[in-house]
Amino acid sequence: MGQSERMIDIASVHKTFVADHGTVTALEPVSITIRKGEFISIVGPSGCGKSTLLRLISGLDQASGGTITLDVAGAVRPVGFVFQEPVLLPWKTILENVRFPLDTSGVRRAQGDKTALDLIKMVGLSGFEKALPRQLSGGMRQRAAIARALSDDPPILLMDEPFSAVDLLTRDNLNDELLRIWQSTGKTILLVTHSVEEAAYLADRVMVMTARPGKLKCVHDVDLARPRGEDTKLDPTYHTLVAQLRRDLRTPAGEAH
Amino acid sequence: MKRRLSAAVDYALALLVLLAAWWYATGPMAMPTYLLPSPLRTWNALAGIAMTGELWMHLGFTLQNIIAGLILGCIAGIAIAYVMTRFPKLATWLDGPLVILQTAPKIALAPLFVVWFGFGIMAKIVLVFSLVFFPVFIGAVAGFRTLDPKMKDLSKLLGLSGLQRFRQIELPAAMPEVFVGLKIGAVQALVGAVLAEWMAGKVGLGYLMTFASATYKTPLLFAAVLTTVALGLLLHVALTILERRLLSWKGVANG
Repeated sequence: MGQSERMIDIASVHKTFVADHGTVTALEPVSITIRKGEFISIVGPSGCGKSTLLRLISGLDQASGGTITLDVAGAVRPVGFVFQEPVLLPWKTILENVRFPLDTSGVRRAQGDKTALDLIKMVGLSGFEKALPRQLSGGMRQRAAIARALSDDPPILLMDEPFSAVDLLTRDNLNDELLRIWQSTGKTILLVTHSVEEAAYLADRVMVMTARPGKLKCVHDVDLARPRGEDTKLDPTYHTLVAQLRRDLRTPAGEAH
Repeated sequence: MKRRLSAAVDYALALLVLLAAWWYATGPMAMPTYLLPSPLRTWNALAGIAMTGELWMHLGFTLQNIIAGLILGCIAGIAIAYVMTRFPKLATWLDGPLVILQTAPKIALAPLFVVWFGFGIMAKIVLVFSLVFFPVFIGAVAGFRTLDPKMKDLSKLLGLSGLQRFRQIELPAAMPEVFVGLKIGAVQALVGAVLAEWMAGKVGLGYLMTFASATYKTPLLFAAVLTTVALGLLLHVALTILERRLLSWKGVANG
């Protein structure tokens, strides 16, 4: 990405919890600057603080120290968040769920319907507007969750292992659709994942994190052409990067994963 | 569909057998009317008070107390459960008194309610209220406590106001548990309303029963009991319809 406009500035952000047996460091100081429109993957084992970092950026949790600056120029809801589970409201239809952020911020119904229907179309759920979440498959529910996260047009989209609960084939499709959505909306995306393949396939840069204590180990630039597709997965550069990411995750704490 | 139809036929048959046994006891077996009035006499008594409008006055009074008690009990049960789950400090304060009130047998307290709230409508509604409140309260507490923590994250991310969060997320999520309590409470409400009318006053199905038994009008007593049974069925059906409408998203009871 040629753009260099700054979107998220993270400076020595860290997080400690107070537990029964003293304080636990969830995240050692992290510093990174993320550009506007960038796609960042964060990969690492359980307990490396990758979800914690997303929660800090979203404002769901407060950092123990350091600063996070979002250059979002007064957006009321600067971030959209996609959880590991869809977290749809089971009593609302897909349309109502996608429209929910708009309804609760006082957007007119007609306007909200239009935005929601466009998004439902974009995530490939046309024809399911009136369906209830329980009538949809896991992958479809996660699409609806993405549409909801995008509905009030936040400049930043945070995704916490969004596809870990769906089967592999669906996951490949959802990854391609996510890239398409990213390219058509120009959002800045941070995606947390366990999968090094997914991280490399999607991102402009991959943040590698290690556990106990959670910290940012290194950041890799991904030199793979856009748009990406099945050909990308045959590219030697892709394989080299995947192998490198694996090595990063294995050393030094070899027993971690 | 076919199964439901045959179930309905079985249901009707069982009732018919019961009716036949009743008729047999009063006809061929010649049970005296003051012990067991015949179906026909009971029907005549019922039709009689229905014609004069007496029945509707009593039925209306009882129904009105039940509905008032149900609504107030639901509102208070949900409200206090919500406040307690939002403010755990308050919960530790209220827990003791609530357990004492809950274990106190409300039916046995009925005479006390008459002393406190008089012979009028107030004592009746208070009794019904006290019977509805606890099951709804316990259901609502369970409902609010089992809320998915991710839903809390969602409301925080969207910056929902307290009212929005309650109306859009917490209340609907707790509704299935509230309904479990409400259905238990509704049965008790009917018992409570009739009982309160036994104690005092000159209206209501409960009063009609005490009047009929005191004056040895057994057919009238039977008519009043049957009307109470019908009212209970009506309440059950109304709540089931309401539940199906409100909780259709759960995919339960879709027949």
